[in-house]
Amino acid sequence: MAGKEKLFMEACKKKFKEEPTDVSTKYYCFGGWKQSKSKVEFQKTADEIAKKRGIPMLNEDIGVPLGQRSWMPYQLSHTDIYAEADDLHCVNNCAIQQAWDDIRRTILVGLDSPHQTIERRLGKEVTPETINNYLETVNHTVPGGAVVQEHMAEINPALAWDSYVKVYSGDDELIDEIDPRFVIDINKLFPAEQAEQLKKAIGKTLMQAVRVPTIVGRLMDGATVSRHAAMQISMAFISSYKLAAGEAAIADFAYSAKHQSLGMGTMMPARRARGPNEPGGIPFGYLADMAQSDRVYPDDPGRASLEAVALGAIIYDQIYLGGYMSGGVGFTQYATAAYTDNILEDYVYYAIDQIKSRYGGFCKLDPANTDEVMKLGDDINAYALEMYERYPAVMETHFGGSQRATVSAAATGIAGAMATGVADVGLNCWYLSMLQHKERTGRLGFYGFDLQDQCGSANSFAYRSDEGLPMEVRGPNYPNYAMNVGHMSGYTGIPKAAHVARGDAFTANPFVRVAFADPSLVFDFANVTKEIGRGALREFQPAGERSAVIKG
Amino acid sequence: MAAYKRQFYPGTTTPAKNRRRYMDPKVKLKKLRDVAMDDVVRIMGHRNPGEDYKSIHPPIEEGKEPDCPIRKLVTPIEGAKHGDRIRYIQFTDSVYFAPISPYQRAWMYLSRYRGIDTGTLSGRQIIEVRERDLEVLAKEYIDNETFDPALTGIRGATVHGHACRLDEHGLMFDAWQRYVWDDEKKEVVYVKDQVAIPLDRRISVGKPAAMSDLKKRTTIFRADGVDMRDDKEVTMYGLRIHKLRTLGGYQPWKVKGE
Repeated sequence: MAGKEKLFMEACKKKFKEEPTDVSTKYYCFGGWKQSKSKVEFQKTADEIAKKRGIPMLNEDIGVPLGQRSWMPYQLSHTDIYAEADDLHCVNNCAIQQAWDDIRRTILVGLDSPHQTIERRLGKEVTPETINNYLETVNHTVPGGAVVQEHMAEINPALAWDSYVKVYSGDDELIDEIDPRFVIDINKLFPAEQAEQLKKAIGKTLMQAVRVPTIVGRLMDGATVSRHAAMQISMAFISSYKLAAGEAAIADFAYSAKHQSLGMGTMMPARRARGPNEPGGIPFGYLADMAQSDRVYPDDPGRASLEAVALGAIIYDQIYLGGYMSGGVGFTQYATAAYTDNILEDYVYYAIDQIKSRYGGFCKLDPANTDEVMKLGDDINAYALEMYERYPAVMETHFGGSQRATVSAAATGIAGAMATGVADVGLNCWYLSMLQHKERTGRLGFYGFDLQDQCGSANSFAYRSDEGLPMEVRGPNYPNYAMNVGHMSGYTGIPKAAHVARGDAFTANPFVRVAFADPSLVFDFANVTKEIGRGALREFQPAGERSAVIKG
Repeated sequence: MAAYKRQFYPGTTTPAKNRRRYMDPKVKLKKLRDVAMDDVVRIMGHRNPGEDYKSIHPPIEEGKEPDCPIRKLVTPIEGAKHGDRIRYIQFTDSVYFAPISPYQRAWMYLSRYRGIDTGTLSGRQIIEVRERDLEVLAKEYIDNETFDPALTGIRGATVHGHACRLDEHGLMFDAWQRYVWDDEKKEVVYVKDQVAIPLDRRISVGKPAAMSDLKKRTTIFRADGVDMRDDKEVTMYGLRIHKLRTLGGYQPWKVKGE
């Protein structure tokens, strides 16, 4: 395939001395794990710890000899940042952790219902002034301040500097009356067309984005976030509206905060043993809405899809499946393939070029034209697989078949979604990719996920919840996805691709979309790979640290 | 009505024909080398040559089998008769025109043998069976045309390497270096068993085949070999499966006539 310079070339040349097209190389002569700066640092640290505690620790000479191949760095896609794989492990990367912390500690609580209670039941007036007063109060209580009882213990603000409450609405007149320090300003943060769509969808509802302290989410769990918010919101109402603490109507505030609120993740079945606001319950469409690239780079739908893929990789694949569901250290190598070295980038931008030249733009291919959809899917998938075959450096970069399966299927799925504007068509193309990949190469991924990928064509358009659901509201807990390691990244990118191609301002939920446009969040959701890279370079400053209460 | 004639795989190209050949139990696969059975046993590492087979149950004819119609129907394989343990051999197949690839291994084994369990991953394919049957099978698949000394690895653990570039002798990467290049004999020699325990003797598995030969033997479609899209029947078959499954789960009435 002649033509443009491949987007993965720079990374391949940095990773390997040979030309990316060379099939031959040398092995077993690079000095083992000592090639790696991070492994050397790890070993030195472990030796010191082992000496101090009297119990052995990490020993890089145990097990398979690491570093038999030339040690390769990873380029964070669409950035200039290179990192070692160790620094992309979620335990070693505080930016990845903060992305999850910022999601978990978020709960969206509407103010319409409490305002009705105040006005109709308690007979008090709600005005922009009282709302501002309430917001000042709630920004005292949610980070851990007391308002009702004297002689109360409070949370040290240095531990909770990331905690606050802001509001947003589709009602411009109301928002104009609110103290701008407390506002997520849709008009300023979104391009005009997106802002109009979002305001229309949100309407006159006044929504609070409550950010519980990171340290609270870490000490308890995602399910505690609504409880912390409910308690502190109720206290703020009591204080700011001068209400009786024991009056039955007060329970309405707590009730609405706990049960009429919007968590980021739904509760999962008991067998998963997780509460709400945990990563397994986040629908793909919600995570796609959290990814904000299309707000800041509205003319680059490819980047929007790829950033959603990256967010899916860290939240679902690395933290949820790799940590919550599996444990251990194996998932980093697997999941990072989707957001490093510009390989998926190359495939996606190739797909975009194809869509534009064949159909004259996005969403112009009739989703009911199955034969043409399959033709497009076949072509994009063949391109992706051919790149692995033409460029052995790319093949070796994705040295696990599961990596290649995910990345090829993600490109094919994103193509189908963008061409038609329908996420489920993209999903169907994902499964086409998987079947063809297996047929072409005689291999795919591993036992656990091959099964789901080979039966998925049949359920890609199913809307009954026990069989399918629209892709926007499927999530990692959908039965066939519970073991699909590495797939969650692509699954997040597909609905995102469909909706950015349509020019939609959001994928599944306008409230979630606006909440993560907030510049006060610690993690920048418009620049996911860059933030991960800053974490890898140890430049990222997270919240939730305990140093304020540790001497020395 | 004519009797059903078993079909194996569509297509007209070399990889498609090879897939059919490997799957068809009537085709006797070409023997290319003769690795001694004791050496096969050493490479697998489950027992020492000459050592008795360990058993997990008494020989079937000594036991009291329940009165079960299925048991009456199925003739046990030799290892099952004797109560052998179930052990494994696992092959890793390079993407660079290895003679066979993991899914074709599974199809081939399941088409040709009884009493086996296979597991397929991207680089490797494990086959588990009673120990004495395993040894016969392992020797057959090390000796025959589905094995290439440079591009097929015998690996129990640390199996990756199938997608790595080849070393200066054309060998597939193995982090444990279970096999090495014998520059004098121009052969590949195993120096460690499947799980990388050093062997007390070097075991030659012979000379690697030329790439031109491998391209005639392989089951792998590749852009720099035979592209799957150049085999219209294989491509059509894949697309058809996808289409029928899609319609079957969505608009089953549309399947009629497809």
